[in-house]
This record gives sequence, structure tokens and C-alpha cells, in this order.
Amino acid sequence: MLCERCKIREANIQYTEVINGVRTEHNFCAQCAKEMDFGQYSAIFDGEFPLAQLLSGLLGGEVPVQKKDHLKQIVCPTCGTTYEEFVNNSCFGCSDCYGVFDLLIQDNIRQLQGSDSHKGKRPVYHNGSKPELETEEETVPESREDSLESQIRMWDRKLKDALRMEEYETAAVCRDKIRELKEGNKADA
Amino acid sequence: MLKWFEQMEQESGNIVCCKVRLARNWSEYVFPSRLSQDQSRELLSRLNEGLRDLGDLDGRDYESAYLSDLSELDRRALKERRILNSSILEKKSPMSLLITREEDISLVLNGMDHIRIQVLSPGLRLTEALKTADQIDDYVNARFDYAFDEKYGYLTSFPTNMGTGMRATAMVHLPSLSMGKKFPAMLNDMGRFGVSIRGVYGEGRENYGALYEISNQKTMGRTEKELTDLVNKVALQLNDQENQVREMSLKRHRLEREDEVYKSYGVLKYARRLTMKDAMTFLSQLMSGVCDGFVRLEEPCPVFRLMLGIQTANLQKLSDRPLGKEELDMARAAYLRSELPGLVSP
Repeated sequence: MLCERCKIREANIQYTEVINGVRTEHNFCAQCAKEMDFGQYSAIFDGEFPLAQLLSGLLGGEVPVQKKDHLKQIVCPTCGTTYEEFVNNSCFGCSDCYGVFDLLIQDNIRQLQGSDSHKGKRPVYHNGSKPELETEEETVPESREDSLESQIRMWDRKLKDALRMEEYETAAVCRDKIRELKEGNKADA
Repeated sequence: MLKWFEQMEQESGNIVCCKVRLARNWSEYVFPSRLSQDQSRELLSRLNEGLRDLGDLDGRDYESAYLSDLSELDRRALKERRILNSSILEKKSPMSLLITREEDISLVLNGMDHIRIQVLSPGLRLTEALKTADQIDDYVNARFDYAFDEKYGYLTSFPTNMGTGMRATAMVHLPSLSMGKKFPAMLNDMGRFGVSIRGVYGEGRENYGALYEISNQKTMGRTEKELTDLVNKVALQLNDQENQVREMSLKRHRLEREDEVYKSYGVLKYARRLTMKDAMTFLSQLMSGVCDGFVRLEEPCPVFRLMLGIQTANLQKLSDRPLGKEELDMARAAYLRSELPGLVSP
């Protein structure tokens, strides 16, 4: 069916008007619909609405209108991403954005991901931990306290890795080792 | 050297291929969307320098290229071969690619995240694919400190990837199951198990070739192994169900099924013009015939390889000049006439 206004394009919008109980039906194409005034419904024909903003809408959540303007001003100091940009693009600008928007998005992340805490692989090397891992695990660093703490951390990491790979025997060994180290620590104190 | 999709995978049933992808970011830089052109170039040159000897890890040959040095057609062909995705194709800032000759392992640098590691494999070998990706991940991590948070895991550009940063995908061929009335409802139900399913080829509600991709919906709160196991399980389940429906139809309508497959082969082998939709539909028929064992190709040739071969950018590349729609259909038919092996007579 052709659009009844321009009679050129295919009509893909059906508009039903009920005035004083009298019902009239019209068929328009998207372009004509956009040009005509449908009051509050006009937004529907404006560009991206509603699919593109579905996810961003979810991320933004239901924030009361007066609060919204306030939130818009939150900006990540590292990369300059504003909360508004984040909501519109559903995209973080840098790793610090996670901390900046943390409280605002926590619930939505939980909704999106079904969880808000990571389980699974951890980087083998993190925050400059490289040298520590390249040496053998049993080496004794100069300061004993450091060594205990870092050993516990290392075994803890091994424990988590083992659990992730479902290697429970290794995990049990790691657990015992951690306990041993911790008890040794207490006895010292 | 055979590409991954040219290798024959025995006993994989209706499961065509699988993929594991890890998204990682380097803690020293802001995410790609916020990098200036200069910063992007600096990031890339440092990443490329650090990963220059990646091949030492597994003895494989990696080729490296800036995406801007490739032609538009090459980039589109890489998308057809599942190396790049459409968002990468649209992105303007500098990006580079590290890829093995077999194209099974690839790293996209400064795409949607700083580093995306992808491992592709024929059949359903997600565990192996994850292991390979994991090794490369550790290799990269030994050189570049990752953006990682105790609570949120690996920090990625999109909240849909945070946590493990991993997407595991299995591609299954479901020609009979997808004809069932309950199929759309079943696809929706899959969401409840935490996986999403989408048609691979075709637009809107149409699906050419009956290929579907299953992947984990969520990336957080579960381990990589749990997520790959989940995709594995669903893929096997769907494969099983497809087999049951096929067995039933073979029992009742063997002649019709054989007829369909042989007719499809005939069209593919002799037609002079083939639209994408037709070619994909007939190849899908042939794929099910080969899988059920009532047609055998003279030479080993995965049908999926032909499906990749008839895609537009690949045909354009083969012809060395831009092709109109009509010419494309002719090129597609010509490609199939030459690439489709003969049949072993029954």
C-alpha cells in the first residue's frame, strides 16, 4: 500500500485516530509520519528510537528526573567520559570509569550479568608482579614478613586457579599450605 | 597450508565450528574509544613490538598487518571468514591484526578493546580452543599489565564483556529442527540457560543455510570453564535433537530426503546463476546429506568451506574487479562448479 500523503513511498505506519468515538484509519510512510505532528508520539519516528537506546536505557536505569541532571555531571577524571556518554554508548572509556560509575551502575550490571563479582581467571602477572612469578616459588626474599604474605598470596592464587580448573586435589594441597603458613605466622606473633 | 575451515573434522555431526574470544585491555592506556590517533599509533607500535615473537610460544607463523594497509575488500573478506566483526570494519582509528596462516588464531589490536584474542576451530573443540587462548593470554599478560579489578574481573570497553572477557561460540547446522513450529520458542527458552542463539546468514527473520551460533550471554560470575561447558552442552543437545528429527524423517521419507539432496547437488554443480539465498539453501541440503552419509564427495571438502567461498567479498576478490549483482550470481555459480567435488557413485 502506498503512503496516502506522498503517494510515492510504501506505507509502513498505520495510524488510527479516534475522535468522539469516530474511528478513522490512515496509512503513512515513515518519512511523512516524521514530518507530521503526532504530538507526544512524534519521538517514535525520530531516528534511532527505540532499539538503539534499549541497552543504554537499561544501563541508565530508572533515575528520577530531577536526579538525572545531577548525575550527568559525573565525569571520569582519567578519560573524560561523562555518565551521560556512558549511558548513551553503553561503553566505558577506561578502567577508571568502573570505579567512577561503580555505585551508579552496580544494580544494572547485576541485572545485565546476573552477578556483580568476577569468578574465573585472574591475570598471572598483575600490578608489577612479574619478577615474583618468574622466580621459583620456594625462594626466600630478604624480608620474612613480605615472604610470608606473598607466599600466602601465591598459594591463594594457585588455589583459585585449581578451583577454576576443577582440580580439587591440588586445591586441597594449596589450602593446607595456606593454613600452615597462616598458623606459622600466628605462632611467631 | 590449509586454513582452519578447509580442514576436515571427523564425527562432528551438525556442529560446524567453534570459537573462543578473550577481550583484554592494557592498564597503561585508556580504552580504544578514548584514544587519540597518536595514542592509538603509539599503543599499536608498543603492542606489536612486544608481541613480535609470539610465534615462539607455539612455533606458529604469525603475520602482522595494520588494518588501514589492507584494502576495503580484504577487510570485508576477513569479516566473512570470521576474523573481524562489523564494528571493527566501521571503526576509523588505527588497528592491527596478528594472524596465523591457518587463520585459526588471531589477535585484533586496538579494536573495541586493546587486545582481542580469538581462536577458531572446526568441530566442537571449545576446551582446546580455550586452552590455546589461555596460553596466548598469559604470553600477552607477561608483557603487558592488564586492566583487572578484583570485583569486576577483566575490565573491558563494554559492560557485556566484563568479568572473564570471554565469549565462547559454537556454530551448529539445524536444517530440520529449525523447520519445526516450536523452534522460535525453543530459541527464546535458551536465554534462560544463559546462552543466546542467532542465525548466522540472512536478514531479519530469514535464515539462509540453517546455521546458528550459540554463545554465552553473560561473562561474569562464572568461570571460563563453566561458560564453555555450558555452550558445549547446549550445542551437543541441539545436535542430538537435530539428529533425532533427521533420523525420523529419514525413516519415513528417505526417498524425498535423498531426492532433495541430489537435486541440490545438481543445481550447485551445474547452475549458471545462483543467488546467495539459493546457494546457501542448496549447500545446507548438501551439508545434511553428507552428514547423514547418503552422499559422499570424491575429495574431502567441508561444505562450510564452500559457504564461506560464495560470500560476496570473497567472490569479488577472486574476480579482481567489482561485480554487479547479476555478475555476482554468475561468479557464485562458477565458483561452485569448479570447487564442488564430484560424488562417489552410490
